[in-house]
Amino acid sequence: MILVIAEQRDGKLNRASWETIAAAQQLASGQPIAVVLPGSGVGSVATELSAAQVKEIVTIDHAALEPYTPDGYTAALQPAIEQLSPTMVLLPHTYQTRDFAPTLAARMDRALITDVTAIKNVGGDAAFVRPMYQGKLAADVVPLGPGPHFITFQIGAFRADQAAKGSAAAPVRPLNISVDAAAIREKPDAPFQEVRQAVDLSQAERIVAVGRGIKGQEHLPLAQQLADALGAELAASRPICDSGWLPMERQIGSSGQTVAPKLYLALGISGAIQHVVGMKGSRTIVAINKDADAPIFEVADYGIAGDLFEMVPAIVAELRK
Amino acid sequence: MERETLDVDVLIVGAGPAGLSAALRLAQLRKAAGEALSIAVLEKAREAGAHMLSGAVLDPSSLRDLVPDFEARGAPLATPVREDRVYFLTPNGKLRFPFTPPPLTNHGHYIISLNKFVKWLAVLVESEGIDLFTGFAGADLLMDGERILGVRSGDRGVGKHGERKASFESGVDIHAKVTIFADGVRGNLTKELMRRLELADADHPQLFAIGIKELWEVPADRVAAGTVIHTMGYPMRVEEFGGGFIYAMPEGRLSVGFVAGLDYQDPIFDPHVAFNHFKRHPLVRGLLEGGQMVRYGAKALPEGGWYAIPRCYADGALIVGDAAGFMNSMRLKGIHLAMRSGMLAAETAFEAIRAGDTSTARLHQFETKVDEGPIRRELYPVRNVHQAFEYGLLAGLAYSAFSLVTGGWWFRPMRAQPGHARMKTLAEFYGRSGRAVPGEATNAIKPDRRLTFDKLTNVHYSGTRHEEDQPVHLLVHTDVCHSICTEEYGNPCQRFCPASVYEMVAADGGGKRLQINASNCVHCKTCDIMDPYQVITWVPPEGGGGPQYDGM
Repeated sequence: MILVIAEQRDGKLNRASWETIAAAQQLASGQPIAVVLPGSGVGSVATELSAAQVKEIVTIDHAALEPYTPDGYTAALQPAIEQLSPTMVLLPHTYQTRDFAPTLAARMDRALITDVTAIKNVGGDAAFVRPMYQGKLAADVVPLGPGPHFITFQIGAFRADQAAKGSAAAPVRPLNISVDAAAIREKPDAPFQEVRQAVDLSQAERIVAVGRGIKGQEHLPLAQQLADALGAELAASRPICDSGWLPMERQIGSSGQTVAPKLYLALGISGAIQHVVGMKGSRTIVAINKDADAPIFEVADYGIAGDLFEMVPAIVAELRK
Repeated sequence: MERETLDVDVLIVGAGPAGLSAALRLAQLRKAAGEALSIAVLEKAREAGAHMLSGAVLDPSSLRDLVPDFEARGAPLATPVREDRVYFLTPNGKLRFPFTPPPLTNHGHYIISLNKFVKWLAVLVESEGIDLFTGFAGADLLMDGERILGVRSGDRGVGKHGERKASFESGVDIHAKVTIFADGVRGNLTKELMRRLELADADHPQLFAIGIKELWEVPADRVAAGTVIHTMGYPMRVEEFGGGFIYAMPEGRLSVGFVAGLDYQDPIFDPHVAFNHFKRHPLVRGLLEGGQMVRYGAKALPEGGWYAIPRCYADGALIVGDAAGFMNSMRLKGIHLAMRSGMLAAETAFEAIRAGDTSTARLHQFETKVDEGPIRRELYPVRNVHQAFEYGLLAGLAYSAFSLVTGGWWFRPMRAQPGHARMKTLAEFYGRSGRAVPGEATNAIKPDRRLTFDKLTNVHYSGTRHEEDQPVHLLVHTDVCHSICTEEYGNPCQRFCPASVYEMVAADGGGKRLQINASNCVHCKTCDIMDPYQVITWVPPEGGGGPQYDGM
């Protein structure tokens, strides 16, 4: 059996859990899949997950799991995994997973492969592809030793909309696990948001991103018009945010957000590798840049070597027709 | 404001080869004497070794004394040197030295990754129960008159404009009977200490160079593991000091680097451009083509030698390693001297604390130990060599040969001026018009992104990361930039920085302004050293930030 550990917060499912279910389905080849959902008061999320084509949804509903703590999750998930004895445990590579998965794997003395971007078949074994050296190399890793093996999947590596849905709702089964609340050493404060009204670009389906080629803050409305016409979010490469023309949370790249929208439109972005690592997973990349040699064209599906100040108004006009 | 304080017997600032050797030696002495002695080590990198960059070829002499059973304890010395080659390069050709000059003979030495080596040392140190505070930079000296009381670590969680964020934590005051400064080349605290106590000799300022290095993976049959190649000549001009190196490790891993003296005269010179020209030379291109660059880094190194070493002891303080300049520029080696100086400082500090006297007079013993031991034996005979290169490559080589015969004698200690003072203005170097006409070597090439890279791409492979929302850690008096510096030197910061930190961009309302891309900084310290007006001060960014030199 393959186990997926879904993630929710305050009764809201993290979309990346669907991506992990999609990965599990690709990996299953006949093995049953179960989804474990830890938390407190997770009934509605379990119902949402039961649409997936899986054997069952197993909930661990316990007051000690709210709010999230690494101790609580480790204490709850270890006995659950031992009870279900899967061959593999799959998780989305979220901040929360990064926080507790290493402890959990170490506690159980099992292999953990993180930030996986694809699954390969190497001589009959599943090999997990993960980036090394900031994505310059991709390593194929085959876990050894006794199972279950822990695998975490990079956000955007699998597509949530490709997770197969079942013909009927999967059964939801509560698992009775006792968690000793007194053994939880962490006392989390309420989560704070450093930046108010933060946009979550990783959830955007379409993004229009601007770079140095936009020349001045006064030209941003032009990009905004295009974004509005496309129903897209506005984002930027580093120099734009450094200049304060757009807030930092709209920065895409190694020091900003990593995104994988359906459409990524890059305006006047040269394509420095720091930017590309944050958007190369986009399904369709369109680049407009004056310099035909700009590295952005190496990752673009469609490229226009031309002046964005001529191109963008023309595209906006066409979209508005 | 209330600050946390911590009291220890010995505080070591910097977990490099010098600092960790000091810590390990102290632990050994503590154990042998059966005494209690509290030791703390501060390190600005997120983990020990992350900011370590060197060629590197290790002379194991100090290691043998510090950890006699280093092989059994798994020291990462995978590659003994098997062959030395020295070439003189011309733009398209090469001339192999018929014999290897004695200082460049590496028989019995090892090609190492300093990153891995220091990680290994850190494990030994921690297993002795010593606290290694990684992710904490030493930000300020704590002094009472001329006495060094300890160090204040940097605040965390300070925003761009100096405001306190929700995550704010104030720095900790660490008080120590003896503080050992091992903060590396142009260490920010050592620089301040030398200024306040006037420890340096004005006639013999430290001279620096910048080393730029990439780690490559090439087909394993290109060059045998254990091969050490050094080059002179192209792309440097005769009046410039510098050269390339290629060290071959197993499985086709190559350390490829270039060292350029930070005493060049041409304001248009760019060490990174020189490095790219070096890689395009047929000798290097032939080794790298078809391979992959996997890591990048840059770091300054102290080249001044014996006379440039400042007074390394003060009331309650000792200075060791690159911070003091214990480096042999003729052998291109300093790790073993850093380690040795750390060990001697540990012995000095231990004896002083036992005697209950950590004054200047007592810690002076450090100098005695340096003078009577292997450090002076190695550095004194080459005391004038780097200074001789100020007169050009030919004079330098001639004097190097001469010094091998005479034991380094010259009529008087050769004086030098600081490297930044040798940089000429555009008008002085390129004539009255002041229009720079770059020579072949300084002519920037368009990187092909296979063999040669632009700085920004390279920075990506240094793994450098900083908390983005923090004050700029490069303090620059920017008034001179767009006016006088543009005219006199053409803003050389844009060129000597190997990480695209400095950029002149169009200012609102016309003209140009300096933009500091502080989060690109690889902590090499070149700007602090080479800026012709000396208006750049490097201070540590929030602890944990900086490069991630895995395998370098």
